[in-house]
Amino acid sequence: MFSKLCSSLTILLTVLLFARIPVFAQKFFPDDPMLIDRDNLVDAGEPRVMKLSDYYDFLNNTFSSPGDPSKKPAANANTLGEVPDSSWFQNRHGQKRMTTEELVRGPNTGNGPSTTERWIVTEGKTEGITPGFRIRDSRGDHYVIKFDPLTNPEMATAAEVISTKFFYAMGYNVPENFLVFFRRDDLSVDKAAEISVGLGPKRRMTETDLDQLLARTSMTSDKRYRAVASKVIEGRPIGPFRYFGTRSDDPNDVIPHEHRRELRGLKVFSAWLNHDDSRAVNTHDSVVNAGGRRYVRHYLIDFGSTLGSGSVTAQKPRAGAEYLWEPWPVFRRIMTIGLWDSGWIRVRYPDLPSIGRFESKTFEPQNWKPEYPNSAFDNALPDDCYWAAKIVMAFTDDDIGAVVRTGGLTDSDGEQYLIQALIERRNRIGRYYFDQMLALDNFALDENVVRFAHLASQYRFAEQPENYTVSWFRFDNAKNEKTTIGNEVPVKGLTFAVPPELMSDGTQYFGVEIKDSTKRGVKGETPAVSLFLHRLSPGRIIGIERTWNVQ
Amino acid sequence: MYRVFICAIALLCAVSVCAQDLDTRAGRLQQERQAKSSQLAPYKRNGLESLLFELKDRRVLERYQAGYKGFHPMLGGLATGSGFALGTQFRKSDIAGGALNFQTSAQVSFAGYQKYQLGLRAPALVNRRLSLAFNFTQNNFPQEDFFGLGSDSATDNRTSYRLETTEYSGTIGFRPIQKLELGGRGAIFNTNVGHGTDQRFPSTEEVFEPNTTPGLDRQPHYQYGGGFAKYDSRDHPGNPRSGGLYEIEGGYYYDRDLGLYSFRRWRMEVQHYLPFFNERRVIAFRGKLESTSADSTRQVPFFLMPTVGGSEDLRGYREFRFRDKNAVVFNLEYRWEAFSGLDMALFGDAGNVFKDVDDIRLSKLKTSYGFGFRFNTEQSVFWRIDFGFSQEGMRPFVKFNHVF
Repeated sequence: MFSKLCSSLTILLTVLLFARIPVFAQKFFPDDPMLIDRDNLVDAGEPRVMKLSDYYDFLNNTFSSPGDPSKKPAANANTLGEVPDSSWFQNRHGQKRMTTEELVRGPNTGNGPSTTERWIVTEGKTEGITPGFRIRDSRGDHYVIKFDPLTNPEMATAAEVISTKFFYAMGYNVPENFLVFFRRDDLSVDKAAEISVGLGPKRRMTETDLDQLLARTSMTSDKRYRAVASKVIEGRPIGPFRYFGTRSDDPNDVIPHEHRRELRGLKVFSAWLNHDDSRAVNTHDSVVNAGGRRYVRHYLIDFGSTLGSGSVTAQKPRAGAEYLWEPWPVFRRIMTIGLWDSGWIRVRYPDLPSIGRFESKTFEPQNWKPEYPNSAFDNALPDDCYWAAKIVMAFTDDDIGAVVRTGGLTDSDGEQYLIQALIERRNRIGRYYFDQMLALDNFALDENVVRFAHLASQYRFAEQPENYTVSWFRFDNAKNEKTTIGNEVPVKGLTFAVPPELMSDGTQYFGVEIKDSTKRGVKGETPAVSLFLHRLSPGRIIGIERTWNVQ
Repeated sequence: MYRVFICAIALLCAVSVCAQDLDTRAGRLQQERQAKSSQLAPYKRNGLESLLFELKDRRVLERYQAGYKGFHPMLGGLATGSGFALGTQFRKSDIAGGALNFQTSAQVSFAGYQKYQLGLRAPALVNRRLSLAFNFTQNNFPQEDFFGLGSDSATDNRTSYRLETTEYSGTIGFRPIQKLELGGRGAIFNTNVGHGTDQRFPSTEEVFEPNTTPGLDRQPHYQYGGGFAKYDSRDHPGNPRSGGLYEIEGGYYYDRDLGLYSFRRWRMEVQHYLPFFNERRVIAFRGKLESTSADSTRQVPFFLMPTVGGSEDLRGYREFRFRDKNAVVFNLEYRWEAFSGLDMALFGDAGNVFKDVDDIRLSKLKTSYGFGFRFNTEQSVFWRIDFGFSQEGMRPFVKFNHVF
């Protein structure tokens, strides 16, 4: 009898408990806005090394649409539209300004390879146009040494160092890349070092091999070699990540990459820095150990093909403007005997070998393209790009100058040109993406007064709208339903008060929709920002929702 | 009974924790991750990806280009008009610490053409200023086209002949500056002409007489001596987009057997490339003059006379369509990039042969025009399809080299 009673009680309580589970219509959870995604809590075990074919990656992305091409909202953006910190991304300069020292230091935890003793060359690389090798310093740290092409001294190494620092400040995991100078005497070949010459099998590397390898690089006027020393990334490397799907052997990787905001927004960052090589092969997954638990950390690597550098030559004029294969431009070029072509073909570049091909006058961020289609970039929505544009705009002229100077360019005209080009490209990004949305941001609720900034006018891309219209609503979180209160009210300036009745009655969630009625899209719709507030939440503002012009 | 109660409490606790997890955004994600952790599987490449991965990982293309233990396959490139050819080349470039290159090759085409070559080169002596080369070449071309001499030769007179040559040569080159090379060449050059094997047409000796076709009945053995000067500022000689090539070569063929066919030969060539639109468009120009002359008591053998026609110059006409002691050719091409890997070309050719240099007139040049596809890398054109049109019809050409 008692047994039956217990069983019945158990079933009843179970039903009641499950009944508490919010239905999926629920918009906000108690931990919203989520600022940290703890995607390192489930032990990743021993994921195998994933070796991708870059030929296949090109074909797959060019001739099909891998991943989920539905342009649904980013899956990992929090309710404020920001990206929580995770193994993919750490909010840095975009959220809290980094000091100049921090920007200049970037991801570097030290000063690069120790110079107290000779560097020991542990492996040689002869294939490719520019040679390279691996070294071990006296501290036992390992680095990959990469050089400039003979035709463009300083170009690739400067691009690598500068872009590393920008991508780090944006929030990505990147390797520690140091600009180094050394002489032949600073190197000696390890007894166990191996090299593969031509297509032959690996064999023991000799000092002569190193001499021949260095003979293919340029020297500075004081007979030193200039290179990038890229510190080997912490943890066990398990290959690259793709810009779509999830990694099947990583339990923490549950959000399809094409729906991650930081990978969608990377399109804007890549456009700014002309990172046309933003493809799977230039990413890196590493299994790291934190407190006895293993998890996968995701990196962007290899920035030799950024800015005006194409790694082994100056960047191609097509780069950033057209995919390697695009049927329509090719068809039109063939049929018009080349009389029709895109604007990129007429762009003029200054003769700056250490910069390569980089310019800002014809740069259109919305039309920028990597070498071949990227599922995450293709899924990027205006709010993804707006998020990224805010971070780009966080770099002041001085910030840009400070980071560019870490590239060690000896041509001061070239350096200044690069700084100005980056400033102009940044402004074009801000101008375009802040125009796609109602660029109201930095919301705060201060003693029942909502304060905000109008980014487009803050950065002087547009005039501050004379007034906005606001309409308040109560919000049923469980049903995800708005109930409008009263009519639209015009407000002037960058503040407005919360209606007293909303603060005093029992409503848990309420909000306000803000519109700039003078700004209409091509179909007559008005872009809007909706703020969601919670009576008991410490920050009160728990959600921001944006709509944009339909293009 | 007691156990049932404990179970119920445990279940309640589990359900409670579960529900709490699902009550937060982080909890939901954690649930999803926990669930995935029981279904982990390593990434598996599909068939095509595996194939492409192995292709790159094993460096199949590089190995194909690099050959096996010095042996390399050869596709095409035997001689103009030889048809599709296959062959093998052996190269060794690390002799004497890399100072010497050795190469030997054998090629055969489907039309029965044969070519055997052996060479030893020291391309970069004395700080890359001096080069030496020794070559042996034996050709057996069984169906070379001959339409008669002069620019008014008739297509109906098409014949074929066998040309066999053996050459031993030595070349010395000196580079006072990087782009300029001056040099000299000496050679022993043996020739023989035989019955043509092209079944579609009569053999040359069946249609033409030795008195109008010098060298048809008897072929000399030569000693050759000459010099050359070459200025090459092309950016990529295999696929030039800027710069130019300016070359002049002159020499004397001394008939050491018969004394009848000694002659002088001059060849001048200018190539110039005008890029625009970031080098994605190129106007390419070539002018070429070849001139042979003999003393009044001697003659230039027909098989060593300059020719015009075919895939390399006047593309609306057959290979070797016109032949005489002097030849002039001009080519103008407009090349435009369709995409990285394919350039298109519109071209116009003008050229002709002349008995005397004094006869050369631009108004007498024959013309052809056409279009082409150039599959390329930045460094070279590896496959070319050209369609040439002239008053003698349309000629398609599929070649494994660049035209210029």
